[in-house]
Formats: sequence, C-alpha cells, structure tokens
Amino acid sequence: MSYFAQALINGVALGGMYTILVLGFSVIWGVMGVINLAHGEFVMVGAYLAWMASDFWDVDPFVSAPVVFCVMVLFGYLVQRLLVNRIINRSSLVSLLVMFGVSIILQSVMKVSFSADFRLANTDLDGAWRLADRLTIPVTRFWVLVVAVGVTVALSLFLGRSRLGKSIRAAAQNREAARIVGVDIDKVYAVTFALCIGLTGVAGALISPLLAVQPFQGPPLTLKAFAITAMAGLGSVRGALGGAMVLGLVEAMLALYVDRIGTNLAVVASFVLLVAALVLRPQGIFKGLRHVDATST
Amino acid sequence: MTGHPELATGTPLLQVQDVRAGYFAGQDILTCVDLEVRRGEIVCVIGPNGAGKSTVFKAVYGLVPVRSGRVLCDGRDITNIAPQDALRTAGITIVPQLRSVFAQMTVHENLEMGMVTERDKQRVRERIDYVYGLFPRLAERSKQQAGTMSGGEQRMLEIGRALMYEPNLVLMDEPSAGLAPKVTRQIFQVIRRLNQQIGLTVLMIEQNARQGLEASHRGYVIEMGRIAHHGQARDLLGDPEVRRAFLGAR
Repeated sequence: MSYFAQALINGVALGGMYTILVLGFSVIWGVMGVINLAHGEFVMVGAYLAWMASDFWDVDPFVSAPVVFCVMVLFGYLVQRLLVNRIINRSSLVSLLVMFGVSIILQSVMKVSFSADFRLANTDLDGAWRLADRLTIPVTRFWVLVVAVGVTVALSLFLGRSRLGKSIRAAAQNREAARIVGVDIDKVYAVTFALCIGLTGVAGALISPLLAVQPFQGPPLTLKAFAITAMAGLGSVRGALGGAMVLGLVEAMLALYVDRIGTNLAVVASFVLLVAALVLRPQGIFKGLRHVDATST
Repeated sequence: MTGHPELATGTPLLQVQDVRAGYFAGQDILTCVDLEVRRGEIVCVIGPNGAGKSTVFKAVYGLVPVRSGRVLCDGRDITNIAPQDALRTAGITIVPQLRSVFAQMTVHENLEMGMVTERDKQRVRERIDYVYGLFPRLAERSKQQAGTMSGGEQRMLEIGRALMYEPNLVLMDEPSAGLAPKVTRQIFQVIRRLNQQIGLTVLMIEQNARQGLEASHRGYVIEMGRIAHHGQARDLLGDPEVRRAFLGAR
C-alpha cells in the first residue's frame, strides 16, 4: 500500500515537472502552428543559465528563475524576429526544419562553450519530507509542482481574461478574422513566442537540480512535450496540466509494477499514450486552441 | 424598397473613381470601375463569377493594389490604404464571405474582439449592450460558444461584431453565402432593418442577385472588370437585359 502511495506522490511530482516543461511548446504550436523542435534546447539553455547562477554566484535556481525568464523572453523575441517571423507563412515543414536547425546550433554552441560534462545546480530546497515509514515527499519536486500549478493558473488567466490573451486565442482560432477586427498578428506572434520561450527557460531552471544539465538533454524533452501536447490538445493550458499528470502517473506506476525494465518504459509509455489518444480522440482529450491537422500551416 | 436616403446631397461616403486594380501589373482584374455609396444607402454589386466583384472590395480595403484612379472616403483619399487603417481611420469594416467567427470563443468574447483595439472597457461594454439591443438573439446566447450556433446566427454575430466600432461603412462579401434560402431572407431582412433603424451604410457583393437587389437601394452590375450597368435597384430588377443575364428570366 505504501508503495502505491509513494508511486502516486512520485507520479504527481513528475507530472508537475512535465507541466512546466510542456506549456511553452503547447501554446506556440496551438497559436502559431509552429512545432518547435528546438523546445528541449531552450529548456537546456535555461538550465545552463540556472546552473551558472548556482555554480558561479551560489544563487538558488528557484531564486534565479525570474531572471532566467527575462533573459529567455529576450532570447525568444530575437529568435522570433530573426527567424520564425520569416517562415511563419510557409508550410509547416519549413518551420519544422528551421527549428531542427536551431536545435543543432544550440546543442553545438553549448557543447563548445561548456563541454559535454554533466552538471547539476544546487538548491536549498532539497531532501525529502518524511510522512510515514517508507513514504516521503521529494522537496525539490514538490516546489516545482507548486510553481508549475501557479504558472498554469497565471497563463490560463492571461489567455482567458486579458485583451492581449484574447487576441492570442483569436489569432489561433481564425487568423484572417483576427486580422479583420484589427488584431496585430505580428505582435501577437512575437509576444506568444517570447513568452513561451521565457516559460520554457523557467522550466529548464527548475529542473536544473533534478536532471543532469548537458548539451544533449533536449531531444527527449522535446519528444515528451510533443506527446503530451498532441495527446492533450494544442495550446490547451489545462490540457497541458492534465496530460502531464497522466503521463507522470503512468510512468510512476510502470516503474512500480513492472519489474526491472519499468523505469525504462517511460519513453515508450508517452508514445503509446500519444498513439492511443490520436486514434481515439484526434481533437485532443482536452479542447485545445486548434485541432491537430498536419495540413494546416 | 421605398424612401431613398439623402438623394444626391453632399459628398458621397465612398467614391471609387476610374479604378484599375489587380494583383500583378499588366493583368488587371478591374479595368475601369466607378461607383459611389452615399450615407445611409445599401448598395449591391452583382455580376458573374470572375467579373471582379470581390476585387472591388479588396481595392477599397487595400488588399489589392490600385494602379490608377482613386478611392475616397468622406472626400478623403484612401487609395491603397493599409487594411488595419481602413478600420481605424476610415471606419470601414468588413464581413467576409467565409465563416469568420472565433468558433471556440463565446458570443460575448467575439463581440469584444470586434473592438479589440479599444482600451476603454466601459465603452466596449456599452457597445456590446448596443449590439445586443439590435440582436436580442445574440444577447440570449452571449455565453454560448460561437462555433455551436447555426449558420444564420453566426452570420448575425459577424454583422454584430462589424458594428462594434460604429463603422461609417460596412462591406459585406456575399452575406448569403453558404446559408439556406430561408436563412438568407432573414439575413437580408436584418440588413434592411439595421439600415432603417440606425442608418447603417452597406456596400455588398451578392451572388444571389435578385435578393441582393431587393434588399438594396441601388445596384451595380460588373462584367469583365468594368461597370456594365448601374441604377436604382428597382430599375435594375426590371431591366430586361439584367433580368436575362442574372435573374434567370427568359
């Protein structure tokens, strides 16, 4: 019983981590129709920034996260202005390839700058809270979950209530109509991309004490973000939370109930869920900003 | 239709003078188009497919380059205006032919989007109440997702949204497109009602020439990129040539 309870706690904690990891990817896809293949690399850059703050100046990642957010917003804005803006009206294959190129560039730059050594940031919020015999709550993951839920609520309110948030949703649903009513589409795209890359950087900062920070940590994260997003609904904020929780719990249960190889089934699990969701409910389990449609740009 | 507004008094609201326009130089779709819309008027442009009806709109709205001639709004030159300025500075809004509601937003949010560039929330609320007053059906459905409404209701929402900015002129691209005949009649009734109730000025394109002209004060027939006939809608409806070509009479 206590094993099951522990797996439940681990699953929810993992879900919190996946939530913050997937939000930026999901909203960029939902609003702009761009599948950001460099997503994991933006996480990685954020993680390096937090690691540097931790290693050089002894700043806790939970403290440096807001600064990482600002730096990454700026970085995202530059990438959007210089690259994404030029390809946004082309077929989705073009943006796929360009973002793939960005991912390779970022990997290489980080490898040349910091070598391929594994790093970990230090946080004071570590250790575990003991609830009972053999039942603990990992402290870092708990706080990641708290931040993830907070960010989800804030993003949800921003998209649902604010004028700019509504413009973003409108542009996602019907770009031509949004243009007709006077939405500045260029601005919407710039804000969306910058904001989402900022959040993605924060995700990197938060996981920097948990996952080894290294130049090639990105691709598996991109794949998970892809699986959760397509499963849950493009650009759906609540969907990102729900899908991330589902995946976190499934992975934790697999690790508990499947002997020996259970922990290695985690990646398999995300794709089995993805395929099942696409076959059974192609519009996403939760209602997204747009449908999964390979032909739309 | 009886009672013609502002007959030949003052400057027309919209003047299109000798406009030649097209996407590419040397392949102009409009070769010589002259038309005008006076305040409080409903004007309908009819013509066969490919004659350039939609291009007239696009030329007014700055979506197709005007190569020669002028477009004037209230006497001011707005030739080749940027589309976003057509809304902001000239007060021209457009109801496009294709479905243009934000399907996953509520009716209320759709109306808010109609005034997205307005910062004064109080004013947005007033305008929404005003539109609800004109369309009680929309008020009943304010919390409903726009995409779940019928085609006719969605069209009404599009028209309501176009009224949010207090436009001087509304361009309607085939308001009857994709609607059942009974619903089409309702939409034309709505346009006439708005015209009488609030003096709405409308320039529309219609494939459905008879109903379009019946709802209008004046009409233009466009053929091969030029105006072939124009006059009172009533006269065009009775013109044997127009009847033969567009109204299915033998």
